[in-house]
Amino acid sequence: MAVDSHRGLDVASPLDNRVGAGAPASAGVVVHIKQPASSLSASQRLVQAEHELLHQIDRVFFGPFFREKYGKGGDKALENDRIRYYGLIEPASDGGELTGRRYVHEFDTMTGCTRGWHETVDQAGNVRQIRPERSDGSTRHYQFDGNGRYRGSW
Amino acid sequence: MHVDLQTVRRVFEDVLSGAMSREQADRWAFTVVQQEEAGVVTYSPAREIQRIWAGVMYLYGIDTMKAPGSYLHSDADIRAALDAKLGESADNEVAAGPVWASTGGRRNA
Repeated sequence: MAVDSHRGLDVASPLDNRVGAGAPASAGVVVHIKQPASSLSASQRLVQAEHELLHQIDRVFFGPFFREKYGKGGDKALENDRIRYYGLIEPASDGGELTGRRYVHEFDTMTGCTRGWHETVDQAGNVRQIRPERSDGSTRHYQFDGNGRYRGSW
Repeated sequence: MHVDLQTVRRVFEDVLSGAMSREQADRWAFTVVQQEEAGVVTYSPAREIQRIWAGVMYLYGIDTMKAPGSYLHSDADIRAALDAKLGESADNEVAAGPVWASTGGRRNA
């Protein structure tokens, strides 16, 4: 997944596909606020670069284990040594502002543990609902508004 | 655990006919996913593993709702997914063992 730098922001490109006719929908744009370069010392920048490199190595190493099964919509290395794999969005024709859902699988490279949840996204690519997979098999939907604010669960 | 294309297709059709609830279909698919992670699932026909898995992953979460008591996916969505993911019936074939790498990962990090 390419990451472009724009005015102090790292803008990760949408996870492979956009919402649209016949195409699996986008996973949205992930924006990370970048630390001003001047606030980091050379050694801190080196540590940061090394950590980022390790994340990329993790993605390459673990990709064969998960990408084909869970990551057809893309994957992303997180700062906490976890990798998220995004499924393609399954469209909902009658979802109103909701475009569809996708399964997200997260793998912890340090512990080997995994977890997963279903996300429902809107037409803008925002995650509007999350349904975690609970160990007791119960399901609960957690909803967010278009600005990412938590609205409640049911 | 053994999963074949016809079984996955039947789950779709049972959901559409009302013979199986979406919640039951979701839990069935979740079991397959769990077993796959443990590396103990076999698939047949072996050449259709990608389609079988695509069908399982659609069924996993098929009971997602957009509002309390209102499913996200319509029956038409499910029918379209059945056609797109499973397509035409395939001939039976010798079962295949796990072909994907497995980490033997534990759930719920």
